[in-house]
Amino acid sequence: MRRTGSGRTALLAVLALLATAPAWAADIEFYQTVDRTEVGTDDTFKLTVVVVDAPSNAQVRLPESNDFEVLSSSRGSQRSISLSGGGPAVIQDITRHELLMRPLRAGKLTIPPATLTAGGRTYRTDAVQLTVREGHASGAPQAQQGGRNALPDPFRNFRNMPDPFGGDDSDMEADEPVIPRGDSDLFLRASLDRDDLYVGEQATLSLYIYSRVDLSSVDAVTMPKLEGFWTEEVESPTQLTGEQKVVDGIPYRAYLLRRRALFPVKSGTLLITPAEADITTGFLFAGHRVHRVSNGLKVKVRPLPSGAPPNMSNANVGSWRMSLDVSQTRVELGQPITVKVILEGQGNVKNVTPPKLTGPASLKIYEPTTTDRLMPNRNRIQGRRVVEYLVMPQRTGTFTLPELRFPYFDPSRRQYETARTDPVTITVEAGAGGVSSLPSTMTPSQVADAANEQKNVLTTGGLRPVRAQAHFVGPSQPVWMRPFFVVGVLAPLGLLAGVAFVGGMRGRLATRSEAGRGRQQAKAARKRLAEAEKLKAGADAGAFYVEVEKAMVGFLEAQLGFPVGGLTREALGEKLAAAGVDAERRARVLFVLEACDLGRYGGGVEPGERRKVLATAAAVMEGWAA
Amino acid sequence: MSDAATQGYYTAEEAEAVFQQANDAYGREDYATAQAHYEKLIAHGFGGPDVLYNLGTTHLARGDLGRAVLALEQARKQGGRASDLEANLSLARARQVDKVVGAAADEAFLPRLAAATDGAAVAWVFFVAWLVGFALLLFRRVFPSLRRTAVAVVAGLCLTAAVPAVLLLGAHIWVHQNVHEAVVLSPTLVARELPRSEGRSLFEVHAGLKVQLLEETGKYVRIRLPNGLEGWAERDGVAEI
Repeated sequence: MRRTGSGRTALLAVLALLATAPAWAADIEFYQTVDRTEVGTDDTFKLTVVVVDAPSNAQVRLPESNDFEVLSSSRGSQRSISLSGGGPAVIQDITRHELLMRPLRAGKLTIPPATLTAGGRTYRTDAVQLTVREGHASGAPQAQQGGRNALPDPFRNFRNMPDPFGGDDSDMEADEPVIPRGDSDLFLRASLDRDDLYVGEQATLSLYIYSRVDLSSVDAVTMPKLEGFWTEEVESPTQLTGEQKVVDGIPYRAYLLRRRALFPVKSGTLLITPAEADITTGFLFAGHRVHRVSNGLKVKVRPLPSGAPPNMSNANVGSWRMSLDVSQTRVELGQPITVKVILEGQGNVKNVTPPKLTGPASLKIYEPTTTDRLMPNRNRIQGRRVVEYLVMPQRTGTFTLPELRFPYFDPSRRQYETARTDPVTITVEAGAGGVSSLPSTMTPSQVADAANEQKNVLTTGGLRPVRAQAHFVGPSQPVWMRPFFVVGVLAPLGLLAGVAFVGGMRGRLATRSEAGRGRQQAKAARKRLAEAEKLKAGADAGAFYVEVEKAMVGFLEAQLGFPVGGLTREALGEKLAAAGVDAERRARVLFVLEACDLGRYGGGVEPGERRKVLATAAAVMEGWAA
Repeated sequence: MSDAATQGYYTAEEAEAVFQQANDAYGREDYATAQAHYEKLIAHGFGGPDVLYNLGTTHLARGDLGRAVLALEQARKQGGRASDLEANLSLARARQVDKVVGAAADEAFLPRLAAATDGAAVAWVFFVAWLVGFALLLFRRVFPSLRRTAVAVVAGLCLTAAVPAVLLLGAHIWVHQNVHEAVVLSPTLVARELPRSEGRSLFEVHAGLKVQLLEETGKYVRIRLPNGLEGWAERDGVAEI
């Protein structure tokens, strides 16, 4: 009897049952880690032994050593079930054993492997090496794993552990991925190795797919908007290569999509928008396409500290060395020189600008060409920027290319540094000419220039040289403001004024003596006339007339300025007339003098006669005086 | 060398040594050192047109256009024109940012007259003519019998020559007292309508431009450009020649 159909149906039913049944992970994962590798004898540390997907009857034997004492121990289990894409549910059992331990002696100590016995097989973790010092050890804890070197400690969120996303790059520190609630089996995760940095300093952005399902392909990736950053590609895998990562105790396959270096170009809090990706899961007809959006990020960018050298660009950040490569330092006129300014180091290679090559006018320096070579290492952008100049000597002689300085900020040392080159001396000689040795990089115009510039070009213009000799002159006032000048100008005028003053004074003094003498004589004459009046009633008429005559003569001499005693009456009359004396006064004068002559010789004894003579003399003087 | 230079901080030999060090530094294109030495000489009374010329040339080599023009103009003011000085001044002017456009304002007669003549020479001509004229008059009076006519003629010529000389000297004194020229030192200097920081900006001038200072109020000076443009600028931005 032939059975038809039943056997095939049963087989399909079993296969269907198997397909829908939960899938147990096939591999047992077993490893142990410590939270630090350097401890003191007075310190404690934590040893964690992790068992993933072990059978229920598996026997775990924790490491035992006489070098350590176990202060406490705990055991925890976790089961995760994930359903995705129509595939079978994946169940994972995770058991962890935590031992709080303390070393009993100093030295290089080893924690022996833990063992796991399951299904007749024995699994062993790696041993863990510890450095134990006397007392307390300094420094932050550093984890070491035993048994799964490539995998991070899944419980690192409880401790300060290295970045699992940085691979073996100890510089990188990523924040803890957070499993989204809705898409826990497949999510997109963006992370930064640092979120607090200086302007121009590098941060590394990594974009991962975390998946617990099989991926077929990533169809499209939209990177975040990176406003405020200069970006450089560090890693962009063409094939999906997953690595095992455990997040919150749940193992994932992490696929790196992109890794970029970010160099902030401005300070402040900069936002990185979420990335997006279209991902196809499953195989062939069972696969389907999902859209995932990553988390956004924030970066705090600090401005460069104060004290920056003047005119330093914000892009000059990192660690740099600078050198000068001169093709030759002794050339013939007309032969070009290639000078390379080489800046190499770690930082934003493509955004730094090496200092411009300068030189004397005798060296014609053409516009340079710039080439960059990036050599990322451990996710850090580094490399070299070469600025190549073509220098064409214009004259024979020895010329110097001055030193170059490149100031930059070193964020690791948090201080400004300066990379510099030494001056280069170039000797240009008069040669036979010829442009056969021109470099191939020269353009035709440069070759033409080279052919035309085999002469010692002596042009006018340019800066005239400094003077070799100096006649030193101290600060001084203008000539006309110096004291001697003022004195010299005023001295002749002063002399002239002095002479005039003295002459005037002398004249005035001379005039003053003659007049005074006249006044004195007139005064004496009046006094004598007053004496004569006392004698007019006396018996001696002669004495009276003598006094009157003396008074009149003295008065006339005082008024006329010359002696009148010896003059005849006619001569006296003429003198008086010449002096402008009127006739009446002249007659009176002559009457008085005649009366006096008569009186002295006996006449004029009558008192009335005396009074008349005296009155006439007084009238002559008074009128004259007026 | 003047008396001022022989006494004080340096001896003449030391000053000469400093000058040569400055020149050597200039030759090595160590312009900062050269500038420091030249400035030290001037600060200690060992200036003069040669040192000022070298200082200006050093500034020019360093690209400091404002101080270059200032030092070269001071050298010209002290020592008059020289071919190398004029060449470097022309080079400095060629590098200036500013181009003063428009009909030049009529410069007053006296400044032009003073610029065309040497004030010190004029002063000395007047001084000598004046003294000699009066000395001859005195001689004629003291010694009336000796060539009275000839002495009188020479004295008259001297005093006659002293008249235009003193007029020219007066022009120099007036210009010295009233006309103040300066050079813009700031890379960019804003000329405002009023001597206040919030005053409306009229125009900007740049390093190396020669301007005239008209008046000063607080930290502002009123400047006039060769074409007559005027505005108030910060005093620190200019230096008087």
